[in-house]
Amino acid sequence: MTRGVQLGRVMFSVLGVGALAYGAWLTWEIGSSQWLALGKWLAGGVIAHDLMFAPIVVVLGVIGSRLLPSFARAPVAVVVVVWGTLTVVAIPFLGRFGATASNPTLLDRPYRLSWFIGTAVVAAAVVVASFLRRRREQ
Amino acid sequence: MSARLRPPREADFSSPLRDDRVTARVGLWLGIAFLVAFLTGVFSHYGQDTPGWFTYPTGPVSLYRITQGIHVLAGTAAVPLLLVKLWSVYPKLFARLPWPPSRAGLVNGLERASVAVLVSSAIFQLVTGLQNMTHWYPWGFSFRSGHYAVAWVAIGSILVHVAVKLPIIRDALALPIDAATPMPVAERDINARVADPALSRRALLRTTWAAAGLAVLATAGQSVSWLRDVSIFGVRSGDGPQGVPVNRSSVEAGVTKTALDPGWRLTLVNGSVKRQLTRAELEAMPQHTRSLPIACVEGWSAGATWTGVLMADLAALVDAPGDSELFISSLDLNGTFGTSTLPPQFTANSNTLLALKVNGETLDIEHGYPCRVIAPARPGVLQTKWVTSLEVVA
Repeated sequence: MTRGVQLGRVMFSVLGVGALAYGAWLTWEIGSSQWLALGKWLAGGVIAHDLMFAPIVVVLGVIGSRLLPSFARAPVAVVVVVWGTLTVVAIPFLGRFGATASNPTLLDRPYRLSWFIGTAVVAAAVVVASFLRRRREQ
Repeated sequence: MSARLRPPREADFSSPLRDDRVTARVGLWLGIAFLVAFLTGVFSHYGQDTPGWFTYPTGPVSLYRITQGIHVLAGTAAVPLLLVKLWSVYPKLFARLPWPPSRAGLVNGLERASVAVLVSSAIFQLVTGLQNMTHWYPWGFSFRSGHYAVAWVAIGSILVHVAVKLPIIRDALALPIDAATPMPVAERDINARVADPALSRRALLRTTWAAAGLAVLATAGQSVSWLRDVSIFGVRSGDGPQGVPVNRSSVEAGVTKTALDPGWRLTLVNGSVKRQLTRAELEAMPQHTRSLPIACVEGWSAGATWTGVLMADLAALVDAPGDSELFISSLDLNGTFGTSTLPPQFTANSNTLLALKVNGETLDIEHGYPCRVIAPARPGVLQTKWVTSLEVVA
């Protein structure tokens, strides 16, 4: 290990442990009445990702690699990354969970329609890209 | 394939896309996104809860609109970066835990615990931030306190993680992304079948950047007005009464009657000196017009032209100096929105108004009729609406 890397490690560790300690103190200060709710959401996110979201992606990957023809695999993979992450970002919009009747300026766009149109567009893009790649392969 | 079902092992994951080179490059940009969100977030927190050593700046007028817009966009861009980064290291979740206990095992265990804190706090920040953007609060804790405390935990665990991985990161970034020789991965079973991946590593990276860019474009319209029509997931279209969106409605604030009461008076207090003004009396004072954005912690912002009375002129009516600190009370009785403090540099600033009009019309009740605070560069939550009193803080 070079000196630069060693110095970097010490610097990052000191800053990191300091920030962690401050974060822990701030969490303590929030007060015991909110710890349970905070803990649920802290643990909930990692559990939802590691035990639900990630395994689903892995299984889809395995299925895709076995079932999809070779020319369709790259377009599908690209679209799953782009469309999938955009859909995750869109969840609070699609559900409009925060909407209130008294404030029509909040969540005032046609999110579901946009999402359906977007999904149709990327699905069409997959078909076109696969077709083009198939022609090139032949 | 084995017919017997068992939990996966690290070596079962054979895609050459799950590679330190991908992890390090996506991780680098994820780290940058988190750092940007952290710095702009701490700035926003200090804007609302100012520590004694910090003097919040009064300009440029768009300061908070820019920093908070960047805060929310950095967090949004981090969603695909975090998901791809976690995907690239997912097999490590199934690495064998060290047993029996040893010194090396303890170090390994500590490192995995720090990664658990990192993943949990990073997901928490992105999920709660995204929910706050859309006013969705399905939890029993204060968003501001929780998001702020966990921000320090997240940035701290990212820094520790970088410290631990620094030699690997350096080597991985130095290696060409699609070089044929695979990285030596000590724990990976060399006999494992190496799958033929759908994408090259470079293509996966480009796809990830595209996903981050599209996520930004899809939401940026709430802060960048010329992107309004592009942003299919903008929280606000930018429409609203008098051309300005609303964050907290008169119904939520419970002021639909009190704000329209003809008996309303603005009370000015400076110790024993007290004055009450009607809206007509405020309108009779010298009027000033300023173009100032209103920018919320949720990331949305909108520019508008406000007309009203200078705060310093109001302070003078109760014999207070033009740079007095003012405690502002609203008809809204909710603690978070109901009061705010205007620091001396804002009272003295000629851009700080008690506004009576917006875009040339009498303020709509949704914008704070009879009058509201509008100051440059400040978080929207402090631009108190439905003002009922201004008290000079001794």
